[in-house]
Amino acid sequence: MSDEEHHFESKADAGASKTYPQQAGTIRKNGYIVIKNRPCKVVEVSTSKTGKHGHAKCHFVGIDIFNGKKLEDIVPSSHNCDVPHVNRTDYQLIDISEDGFVSLLTENGNTKDDLRLPTDENLLSQIKDGFAEGKDLVVTVMSAMGEEQICALKDIGPKN
Amino acid sequence: MQGRPSDLAHLQSTMHAFELACNSIQMHVNPAAAEATILSLGQSPRPYQACQFILENSLVANARFQAAAAIRDAAIREWGFLAADDRRSLISFCLRFVMQHACSPEGYVQAKVSSVAAQLMKRGWLDFTAAEKEEFFHQVKQAILGIHGVDVQFTGINFLESLVSEFSPSTSTVMGLPREFHEQCRSSLELDYLKTFYCWAQDAALSVTNRIIESDSAVPEVRVCTAALRLKLQILNWDFRDNTNAAGGVRSSINVFSAGVRHDNDSFKRSECILVKPGASWRDVLISSGHIGWLLSVYGALRQKFSCEGFWLDCPIAVSARKLIVQFCSLTGTIFPSDEGQTQEHHLLQLLSGIIPWIDPPDAISKAIENGKSESEMLDGCRALLSIATVTTPFVFDKLLKSIRPFGTVSLLSNLMCEVVRNLMANYTEEETWSWVARDILLDTWTALLVPVGAIGGNALLPPEGINAATSLFALIVEAELKAASASAFNDESDSDYLHASISAMDERLSSYALIARAAIDFTIPFLTRLFSERFARLHQVRGITDPTETLEELYSLLLITGHVLADEGEGETPSVPRAIQSYFVDSLEADKHPIVVLSGSILRFVEQSLDPEMRASVFSPRLMEAVIWFLARWSCTYVLPTETSNGNNCYSGHDDEHQLDSHHSSKDFLSFFGEYNQGKLMLNIIVRISMMTLISYPGEKYLQVLTCYQLLPALVRRKTICVHLVALDSWRDLANAFANERTLFSLNSAHQRSLAQTLVLSATGLRNLEASNQYVRNLMGQMTAYLVEICSKNDLKNVSQQPDVILSVSCLLERLRGAASASEPRTQKAIYEMGFAVLNSLLILLEVYKHEFSVVYLLLKFVADWVDGQIVYLEAPETAVVVNFCMHLLQLYSSHNIGKISLSSSSSLLSEANTEKYKDLRALLQLLRNLCSKDLVDFSLGEAADTNMSQVIYFGLHIVTPLISSDLLKYPKLCHDYFSLLSHMLEIYPEMVAQLNSEAFAHILRTLDFGIHHQDTEVVDMCLRALKALASYHYKETLAGKVGLGLHAAGCTDPDGKFQEGILSQFLHSLLQLLLFEDYSTDLVSAAADALLPLILCEQGLYQKLGNELIERQANPTLRSRLANALRSLTSSNQLSSTLDRMNYQRFRKNLHNFLIEVRGFLRTV
Repeated sequence: MSDEEHHFESKADAGASKTYPQQAGTIRKNGYIVIKNRPCKVVEVSTSKTGKHGHAKCHFVGIDIFNGKKLEDIVPSSHNCDVPHVNRTDYQLIDISEDGFVSLLTENGNTKDDLRLPTDENLLSQIKDGFAEGKDLVVTVMSAMGEEQICALKDIGPKN
Repeated sequence: MQGRPSDLAHLQSTMHAFELACNSIQMHVNPAAAEATILSLGQSPRPYQACQFILENSLVANARFQAAAAIRDAAIREWGFLAADDRRSLISFCLRFVMQHACSPEGYVQAKVSSVAAQLMKRGWLDFTAAEKEEFFHQVKQAILGIHGVDVQFTGINFLESLVSEFSPSTSTVMGLPREFHEQCRSSLELDYLKTFYCWAQDAALSVTNRIIESDSAVPEVRVCTAALRLKLQILNWDFRDNTNAAGGVRSSINVFSAGVRHDNDSFKRSECILVKPGASWRDVLISSGHIGWLLSVYGALRQKFSCEGFWLDCPIAVSARKLIVQFCSLTGTIFPSDEGQTQEHHLLQLLSGIIPWIDPPDAISKAIENGKSESEMLDGCRALLSIATVTTPFVFDKLLKSIRPFGTVSLLSNLMCEVVRNLMANYTEEETWSWVARDILLDTWTALLVPVGAIGGNALLPPEGINAATSLFALIVEAELKAASASAFNDESDSDYLHASISAMDERLSSYALIARAAIDFTIPFLTRLFSERFARLHQVRGITDPTETLEELYSLLLITGHVLADEGEGETPSVPRAIQSYFVDSLEADKHPIVVLSGSILRFVEQSLDPEMRASVFSPRLMEAVIWFLARWSCTYVLPTETSNGNNCYSGHDDEHQLDSHHSSKDFLSFFGEYNQGKLMLNIIVRISMMTLISYPGEKYLQVLTCYQLLPALVRRKTICVHLVALDSWRDLANAFANERTLFSLNSAHQRSLAQTLVLSATGLRNLEASNQYVRNLMGQMTAYLVEICSKNDLKNVSQQPDVILSVSCLLERLRGAASASEPRTQKAIYEMGFAVLNSLLILLEVYKHEFSVVYLLLKFVADWVDGQIVYLEAPETAVVVNFCMHLLQLYSSHNIGKISLSSSSSLLSEANTEKYKDLRALLQLLRNLCSKDLVDFSLGEAADTNMSQVIYFGLHIVTPLISSDLLKYPKLCHDYFSLLSHMLEIYPEMVAQLNSEAFAHILRTLDFGIHHQDTEVVDMCLRALKALASYHYKETLAGKVGLGLHAAGCTDPDGKFQEGILSQFLHSLLQLLLFEDYSTDLVSAAADALLPLILCEQGLYQKLGNELIERQANPTLRSRLANALRSLTSSNQLSSTLDRMNYQRFRKNLHNFLIEVRGFLRTV
């Protein structure tokens, strides 16, 4: 599998990560899919037919991985769907600034300071509280189609 | 229990409070408090006087009801220490109460008191003397015979109904007593009383019959008669056990009681038939007393009255009478004398002639129902036929009617069914109508008639007239099915759930159709052949001109029907050719002219056309292909390369003749047509080509591919004889090659790829020798492992790995490896071990790279679990070490990624998905650990070193997994089950390793154990108790031998705050005693609890003494206190209990604990 193959569908809109075509019939629950131009996690797949002797179509229920909204789509199962390129990177959390940004340590020693804290109170407090307690926190940042968000938190704590 | 006058005021006030509570609960005012008041009466010590006072004086019906319930609760609890007089007086009070208030309009209070009397009677059943019982029953008998009037008569019968249902194990109430008690009561009632009760019911019914028949409107006596009929029905429904040796039965090989289960179900909801086998002692009452004649004449008289006021077809007395008549139809066993079935035939004939007017003539009956008559009588008639068919052979069944009609019973059955099918055809709806119900019952009747009964062997052959009846019926059925098919061809299937339910119902129906078809096989096969060829011709005519959908749907139906007719479901075994087809003899000597061959051949030739792209596009819709694949899977199991082919008439006559013991040469001749020396290989080749085509040319047709991957292909590789030919076929090589080297099959759903890998690897058993088989697997899977290793060795893996197409490839590869791993067999074990070994390193790399990608991690864990499962038993010590080390690494890596990780998302559904993912991962890990464990069950040859190695990895695994398991995750039943079974296994096999766990891990394990002991699932509790037993007995034995045992863990310690913490065994002694004495649990657990309790007591004798003393001192009542002290003493001293942990001693202690609990739980729980 050479790298050249990966460039066949580069979306024109600037900054957006790539999406990849994949046959609808092969997309399984827990995979990803683009519905209405949003990256979604597939939480339900069902198949039905167009008329008794017609061809199969897939019914997807997806949840937007960034805003949690539910989206649905129906695609003939032999057709291709777009699958988003979802990347997750771990960073060590260095600081939380007053204006709602976090400062993260990248693997090569630089800092990444352009990521906002989540707006949701609950999530915010989970991050802030941990940080305030002085724990060593690693955050996982999920990025897809030009958006980024913190999606997980891990306490690497004092080594035991 | 006598009240002093001064108590009167107190009783009054109790009553008022109680009434108030009952009223407020009904009006929903402060229900919690009201409920507490009501319950407190039942829970207080000796509330009988108050309860009786309420029953006799309260005007609030609900209060009386609750007071009766309170008597029951208190008496059952305190039974052990009530004086004999008190016990008896409670029962007589209840009985007297119902008799005195027989005309009370509040039936539910009466029923409650009646059932309380029945329950108390049962509780004391084994203690009462015969004379005491006699005294109670004397009253009841007087009542039932009608001495005190109709109402009391009704009440008496009702009491017996409660009593019988209380004594029948399936409907009895829980009393906190061991199973043996219920069993003894059951058999005592069956032996000594049941028949007497039946006679009383009969006498009661007789006493009122004339009144009912003479009057033209409903009289009070009807109620008595109905109750008597109901009681009789209930008694006949009894699970008779003492005479199960049914020698005289016509069909003695059916013994529904042998399994000990019986579905008590007098409503005939699913038209199943229950045989009634009361045994020889009932002959006089049921058979020779003219009882049946009476019953039929009563119902006959009722039929005349349906026009009168107060009687109608569905009035209770008519319903009960019909049910009883149907029940009598299934009478069988030793009740009939061994006179070659003459008495039974006579009995059935008598019943049948009574039933005939309900169902004959069918067309008139059907018309009347369509015009508004109730269908219940006709349905009961069908049920009666079903019952008769169940207890007779087809021959006897058919003969019955001949003595009174010019035709046999089978003809009547066929006519009736035809009428029903016509009705269904005329009113095609999706709803269940009476004709649906009737069709299902009648189909069951055919099945009962036609299913050959194992031991008797041979076919259940119909007489010639019956065959004609079956012929016309089958033709009509097929006509109806085809009509329904073409009518529904354009329906859109919207509701897929409903569809699946109806498919399994359809399957059942088709199997019954097939039985009818096989009964008329001479007609059926040419008939089906003709229907197929008509439709094939029609398709060719209209192709490209008009829409073929209706014909396609008809073909779909025909394929399903024909599949059922030609072959039986294999259910994993190789089904043989159905007997009716084996003995299907035709004059033609040439195998290729045999009708079965002609039919199969024409279908196969049609199906083969799907390989042509143009035909495929215009004719072979995905749905039609589904039927095709289903048909091929079913048909090929039985017919392609049959195991028994031997004397083919073309060449190579008979070797391997030992299977052929019967003389049906004709059948074997046509079978040889499908054999290896004739058309077999050719057909196999076509089937393989078609399956491959469905995988490639029907992209995204998931259901079709499911059928190919999970039914057809696995069916082919199941038999070694087929595998031998498969691996030699070009088409199979093409499939394997496409799988190993081409991209096309990567576009299949990845789960299907797994199954395909499994199938292909399994086919390697068809190769000549070990080396060839292993080489086959290497060729097949070599590309996959190489590909996976290549991906993992890329420099930019970290960047490209997250790309969807790479994720897809990796997932597919892992699924394929998993499929191959799950096909491990001794012959290919070596190659599959190498396959896994080649990717071990890559797996660790992938686990690191995809730590955030659940779908990949899960597949990876599942592959490892399956691979270990398939391999572990074969491995030598060095290989085991490799596997164990690898698993160690895997577990470490997984836990380093996941411990302490929290998912953040504002979406609750994404969070719950994340939780489910965690659960699935953990379950896969637990499976892996358990598979590793299986090594120590099969292999004792590894020696000390390897042994400790294994236990280390498993403990290490437990160490890693337990912190990930939260009590939230334990709410997933499967995970909970897996976890505790692993835990109990570990503690039983390696208790010595526990001591080495660090205190945190140890504490976590114990917390989960404590959680498990209080779990609702008895199996989980049982496993925890076993674990506890293992822990405690280990410690006890070790300390006896002067070693440390669990050491510090058992000793307890002082925590940083200076508080002393109990050792773990003390903690568990505490909580186990608490559970046993004060909480709810299933009595099945008492034995397991005893096994855990004994070593705990032995370990912690001091604490046990202390707890026992506390328990005694808490008891204020001096009698109860001495009882408790005695019970505690005998718990540890009776039955020569010693302080060793051997089998005998455990058994003694179980017995002691059982007795102890019966003795004291009743009053301890009230405190």
